[in-house]
Amino acid sequence: MPLPHALILKFPGTNCDAETARALKVAGFSAEVLPIALLEPGKLDTAQMILFAGGFSYGDYVMSGRIAQLITKHKLGDKLRQFVDKGGYAMGICNGFQILTQLDLLPRGSLIHNESGRFICRWAGLKKNASSPYLSELPDEFELPIAHAEGRFMGVGDDTANYVANGRAALLYTEDVNGSSQRIAGLQDDTGRVFGLMPHPERFVNKVTHYDPDWSQAERGWGYYMFKSVRDAMAG
Amino acid sequence: MSKAVFRHIPITPLSADELLDLSKKHKLSLSREDMLVIQAMFKEENREPTDVELEVIAQTWSEHCKHRIFGAKIEHTLDGKKEVVDGLFKTYIRNVTHRIMDKKPGFVLSAFVDNAGFVKVDDQTAICLKAETHNHPSAIEPYAGANTGLGGVIRDILGAGKGAKPIASLDVFCFGPPDTRQEDIKAKDVIHPLGIMRGVVRGVRDYGNRMGIPTTSGAIQFDDTYIYNPLVFCGTMGVIPIKDIEKEVKPGHLLIAAGGRTGKDGLKGATFSSVSLTTSSHEEDQTAVQIGNPIEEKKVADFILAAREKGLIQFVTDCGAGGFSSAAGEMLSTVGGEVWLENAPLKAPDLESWQVFISESQERMVIAVEESAMPELQKLADIYETEICKLGKADGTGILKVMHHGEVVCRLDNSKLHEAPRRHMTATWTTPKRGEDTYIPFEEVEVGNELLKMLMADFAIVSREPIIREYDHEVQGHTVLKPLAGASGDAPQDGSVIRVEGTQQYAALSVALLPEWGKTQPHLMGRACVDECVRQLIAMGANPERIAILDNFCMGNPDDHTELGALVETVKGMAITAEAYGAPFVSGKDSFYNYFKTDEGPISIPCTLLVSGFGVVEKKEHVVGASIRRTGSKLAMVGQASSGLAGSVFARMIVKNARDEVGFPNAPQFSEAEAFEAYERYHELVKRGVVLSAHDVSEGGLAVALAEMGFSGKAGLHVDLSLVPTLDSTPVAEHLFGETPGRIVFEIDDKHAHLAEEAGFTIIGQTTDDGFLTITNQDQQLVHLPIKELKPIWQTGLTEYY
Repeated sequence: MPLPHALILKFPGTNCDAETARALKVAGFSAEVLPIALLEPGKLDTAQMILFAGGFSYGDYVMSGRIAQLITKHKLGDKLRQFVDKGGYAMGICNGFQILTQLDLLPRGSLIHNESGRFICRWAGLKKNASSPYLSELPDEFELPIAHAEGRFMGVGDDTANYVANGRAALLYTEDVNGSSQRIAGLQDDTGRVFGLMPHPERFVNKVTHYDPDWSQAERGWGYYMFKSVRDAMAG
Repeated sequence: MSKAVFRHIPITPLSADELLDLSKKHKLSLSREDMLVIQAMFKEENREPTDVELEVIAQTWSEHCKHRIFGAKIEHTLDGKKEVVDGLFKTYIRNVTHRIMDKKPGFVLSAFVDNAGFVKVDDQTAICLKAETHNHPSAIEPYAGANTGLGGVIRDILGAGKGAKPIASLDVFCFGPPDTRQEDIKAKDVIHPLGIMRGVVRGVRDYGNRMGIPTTSGAIQFDDTYIYNPLVFCGTMGVIPIKDIEKEVKPGHLLIAAGGRTGKDGLKGATFSSVSLTTSSHEEDQTAVQIGNPIEEKKVADFILAAREKGLIQFVTDCGAGGFSSAAGEMLSTVGGEVWLENAPLKAPDLESWQVFISESQERMVIAVEESAMPELQKLADIYETEICKLGKADGTGILKVMHHGEVVCRLDNSKLHEAPRRHMTATWTTPKRGEDTYIPFEEVEVGNELLKMLMADFAIVSREPIIREYDHEVQGHTVLKPLAGASGDAPQDGSVIRVEGTQQYAALSVALLPEWGKTQPHLMGRACVDECVRQLIAMGANPERIAILDNFCMGNPDDHTELGALVETVKGMAITAEAYGAPFVSGKDSFYNYFKTDEGPISIPCTLLVSGFGVVEKKEHVVGASIRRTGSKLAMVGQASSGLAGSVFARMIVKNARDEVGFPNAPQFSEAEAFEAYERYHELVKRGVVLSAHDVSEGGLAVALAEMGFSGKAGLHVDLSLVPTLDSTPVAEHLFGETPGRIVFEIDDKHAHLAEEAGFTIIGQTTDDGFLTITNQDQQLVHLPIKELKPIWQTGLTEYY
């Protein structure tokens, strides 16, 4: 059987595309980095997954992910929605999560500046709050690196409490790292195939990139198991 | 404008004084002697120069571009004895490196000839490193100055070989102390150190993070002497296939400019940075400083790397100081050729010819390509959304001819242009006399405890965590040893280790600077900076035979004989250690005129040397962090302590707080031959996989090193000073807080301790399960503190300021 094909969109300023492609390949995908200039609707027909990688698309000088969202909409129109409806997977990591949120593929809400007003690069404890095809092979609690200035998720009214209750908030921080409402770290849509998160699974594929040389909770880094989970979910 | 705007400037009839006035009026930063040589050049051609030509010569001959002080003939007097230095660079840097290269064939692949020096990782892959300063711009506009400083050095790497891929950055700053009182700043318009620090850190953050290059190593020094002239060093490491290192411009190649547009911003940066700062600099020189646009650079980087992979690049270099004039000048320096200024995309249409040619607008690269490659290059430029234009063509004439809308605005013989007149300078240095050190008694354990707590809170020692967390140090997914690591990911390390893409090997990166010694012991500073940098790399697991270093100098006024004397001594010291360690210099840079003219006289920085280095770590099993890993292991010592506290953080702290007269005139001593031999034995243990953790002993001495190792939180430490090897009868203060170079403490499993002893190392203590840092002299306790109490003192030292 051919490997599931993941299309990684590269906007000017996207900068985690190479390591994301590497991580996907290790987990059993074929991965293609596609500069946005080459994106056309037909491209989606070749892929089982579309991935929005981390970085600073167009500099994120406006609202993070805003311009990338407009360009994607302009290029793909309803095609992305149809791709997901037909069983396609969509994943957004960090800046990609910000873009996905704006593309209306995830429960409404926005990612704003961290409460500290600063960029923050550290590792964060995470816990699963719902079942998700992206999390099935991960333990209830694990950790991944975060690196963002705008990762504080805010909803309207009772949104975030509802997301925690109904499992749309698939991933929560174990402690408050950025002021995110309900400590939300990652969201999924009602199919589970669309998933966005602020932490960077692609940076923890191998044990060697953990900060503690004695880390030995698993054979590989937790990020590997995230990609492996969704890979296995696709294989059915 | 659709026509060239330039003018001829009559210089042939002028007197020497008038020539100098002209140089000042046009801010050319050229000396009387330079102007006379230029005058003779044009008299010979029987014509007057254009403004474009004068500007080109000014930037080509500027200290910033030509490093004329490092090439100068210096009459140096050391302790009354005269010596002649026939070029600092040639004598102490290039020749040392060439001798090392002869001894280690195949390791250094290129040094001093390209934008960065290259060393071999494996048969296919090389890495390179370059560091630059951006001091003057950062003094005037900290955010933008640091922003473009990092942007500039990243372009150096993109312009190294046929385009190296940037894989890690380092940033080193020297600032005034964060708690400086505003009323103590003696000149108006000087930005308070806190403003400088915040601006600089954010400038680095916003460029590095957006480019997707991890900022993994760095250092900060705080001292009063940097209030007026803060120093900002930015460095970047790159990786490239060895086959893409060699590059050449041949007749017939097209020169294309890629990236950002050209504007009036950044005019005369090269000449601006070759004079001192004054209060008026803050008002007048703003045009020399620019705001960076990292996304523009990210696009041109993606374009260059894709074009290089497709084999479309014959030569590439960045537009740094001097803009097109330096980039095209360098590319056409022997082959000659034409430049067509009208093709350069402009930010606004009203630029005069000289402005187009020397503007230092950011994010621009110049690339030499075969004409037949143009369609494919245009396609790539469209994909990566960057702008390219045909800037010129190499023609084999040896003449640089700059055209603007069909008119020749500059026509210079390259052989003459690149021969700046040699400077003759005078330097002098007097070695400070040895004397009595103030004796510090340590009878009660409270004395040691309190002094250690004070040291852990000193700005020289405290954690840089608030700043490190603002840099993305994990992007690209290859950061194996992070700047903060250990069991809770927040303990200090000796540098960082990055996996080298495309290989199974790793690159360690570290920096060392010890400017306090620059004030009184420059020769020792030179030696110790090289030692510390190399030692950190080896501590982290780098093979001692596969290390290369860079030298970046900053100093005040080179026309002051004593200041230049300190520089000469620093360079001499540095060369001794580099040669003894077989660590070649592969690149370097210097920055002069870091002094500020206040009403009360000029204030200079101390002679400051940054040594940054990179070394090959051959296996992931060789990577060693600086955080203790378990209880019950042994602690061993590489090197030996010696007496002498001069220049140490401890001595500075005591002097600052003492009520009585105190003094520490004596500096510590060490031997390069012994140190390096010990490092090689240490590396054998690393290769056997028995070194659990290791930390260099540097600022704050052994006590601080042990505390920092304990910040992993996994174990306590107990060391007995009576077991620590010493060179002489070392007093307790030196034992605890002395900064003798050449020392590493390492942790080894109890069952392997005999291997350390067989290798000639002394076991000085063990890790414990009581959570205390305990330092004894046989039965006498000198320090006994819970590590839990020390860590917050160290960890939060900067949080109220940043």
